[in-house]
Amino acid sequence: MDFLGNVLTGFQITFQPVNLMYCFVGCFIGTLIGVLPGIGPSGTISILLTMTFNISPVTSVILLSGIYYGAMYGGSTTSILVNVPGEAASVVTTLDGYQMARQGRAGPALGIAAFGSFIAGTFSVIVLMFLSYPLSKLALAFGPPEYTALIILGITILTYLAQKSMVKALMMAAFGFLLAYVGIDMITGKARFTFGIPNLMDGIGILPIAMGLFGVGEVLENMDGSGEVSVLKTKFGKLLPTLQDWRDSWKPITRGSVIGFILGVIPGGSGVLASFVSYATEKRCSKHPENFGHGAIEGVAGPESANNAAFAGGLVPLFALGIPPSVVCALLFAALMMHGIQPGPFLIPEHPEIFWGLVASMYLGNIMLLVINLPLIGIWVQMLRVPSRILLPLILFFCTVGAYAINNSFFDVGTMMLFGVLGYLMKKFDYEAAPLVLAFVLGPILENSMRQSLRISRGSFWIFFSRPVSGTLLILAGLILLSYFFFMKQRNVLDEKETKA
Amino acid sequence: MKRIGTEVIGSLFWLAVGICFAVGGIRLGPGTMRNPGPGFLPLIMALFLICFSLFIVSRGRVGPERFLRGIRWKDRVLAITAVFLCGLLLDLVGFLFSTFIMMFILFGVFSTGNRNWGWVFVCAAVTALMGWILFDVVLNVPFPRARWMALWR
Repeated sequence: MDFLGNVLTGFQITFQPVNLMYCFVGCFIGTLIGVLPGIGPSGTISILLTMTFNISPVTSVILLSGIYYGAMYGGSTTSILVNVPGEAASVVTTLDGYQMARQGRAGPALGIAAFGSFIAGTFSVIVLMFLSYPLSKLALAFGPPEYTALIILGITILTYLAQKSMVKALMMAAFGFLLAYVGIDMITGKARFTFGIPNLMDGIGILPIAMGLFGVGEVLENMDGSGEVSVLKTKFGKLLPTLQDWRDSWKPITRGSVIGFILGVIPGGSGVLASFVSYATEKRCSKHPENFGHGAIEGVAGPESANNAAFAGGLVPLFALGIPPSVVCALLFAALMMHGIQPGPFLIPEHPEIFWGLVASMYLGNIMLLVINLPLIGIWVQMLRVPSRILLPLILFFCTVGAYAINNSFFDVGTMMLFGVLGYLMKKFDYEAAPLVLAFVLGPILENSMRQSLRISRGSFWIFFSRPVSGTLLILAGLILLSYFFFMKQRNVLDEKETKA
Repeated sequence: MKRIGTEVIGSLFWLAVGICFAVGGIRLGPGTMRNPGPGFLPLIMALFLICFSLFIVSRGRVGPERFLRGIRWKDRVLAITAVFLCGLLLDLVGFLFSTFIMMFILFGVFSTGNRNWGWVFVCAAVTALMGWILFDVVLNVPFPRARWMALWR
């Protein structure tokens, strides 16, 4: 009864006109930035975070979440029609989605992507509802050693999944942790790495860093391109998939939903990983794996479902443990902190309206996205033709104004630009920004839990291995690291053999 | 002799950053294992950064040369300058004028090829005005105003 009451309260909150409006705005902006190349959901959320200071925490979270799952929907459009993924989680959709479009089946591809996302989104929200409350109770049994181990495992998984090099991703994570330690030390009250600058006493803000790396960095990166996007001239045909399409897709959608949710829960896992694992699974399960890469609808249905389910999965560790498993969840974490709300085991009991409001808004948001995406697909395709000479200056405009609005000071604009230039150079040198941002958010939690653990154990690191949960998590992290270096060595041997040959 | 690749240049930078933080961590005081000090975790992380940087330097792979080729440095410097200028001017001349200047430079920089200054002017003015309406009027974000704006209000 309590559960049902909470669900009803959630819907009551979501159906308030202001929340409905922000949910729609979030879904709309999300779809827009998912379609448009040049800026991703992380950049958009960090820019818009500053605009949520004056609205309630629940409205803020509804808006920002809407942007993310909206971007997941929108990202598939460019993957299918342009062969350019709108965001990283839609990369794998290009393999079969674009081929379907070339064969004149763009309509069913877009349709199944939208329906699959809707089904997976709804499924994952239902599981989230049932899981988060018991998990948050279980999380109370988590002590400092478990938190330390979980963060180390999360960062290890995230760096292991880095697109370029794990060593570079680990470097970025270490740098992210270091940046998190700028400011006053909470235990001793000592100023760290502030160089006497008063603005640094409170530490560096997450917003200038995120806006710089994901917003300004992207703009500087895109300045070399022509900005012209060639959209495949194809008839959408009927957007509703045929009965045969449904027969081929229902299993991939089901599997994708489960895979996405599970991988979303794991710290470090994300929509990107979920979509790739789902694609590999579908290829393995298919009776005709040779069709993959040549327009198999299963190759669109599975990954698109998985990347949507992963978001709700990511909310489990965020709300139950207070540990964001991905960059977007880290930004939601920052949004809650800015409103004076500490994500963690006490969030759901103390602020049920935020959790249940968000859950209910996600039901509604998924329906809104179906309505926004399918009938209006022609308009979204036209959006692709917005020239970069207009789009890129506008992104810089919102970044600048957003950064200034944080404290009404030039310092944040300067910090944002510094990280913008750094983000651009990082791209050029093949360093990824995601581990940096996630480590920056997790840095204070890691430091507190590690220092507390060492105090409890009187300086013995054995405390991390002697407890079953933390020990298992750390052994897992160690195995992941070892496997990376083992495979790297094998790859090097193969490279040398090839060079000699 | 092999030229120094981008891999090595990049990791040398991070090596320097790691050394700076390590020195900072030692100065702050890492404390003891029983009672870790404010420099404890910064020192550990800095050592990680140093180790990983050295790992990449030791591999010393020759990086691709694409980095220095075909980059519009001038445009990037102009874009960055425009943003800095806006940030500096916001307090002095208010939201409208400073964002107009920034957008005028940015639209000018980004519209390569046949640049139409009239179009650039109109776009900059419209963006500044729409931005002011959105932030000041709709979202009620307290941005600095120019003195004449304050009088007008």
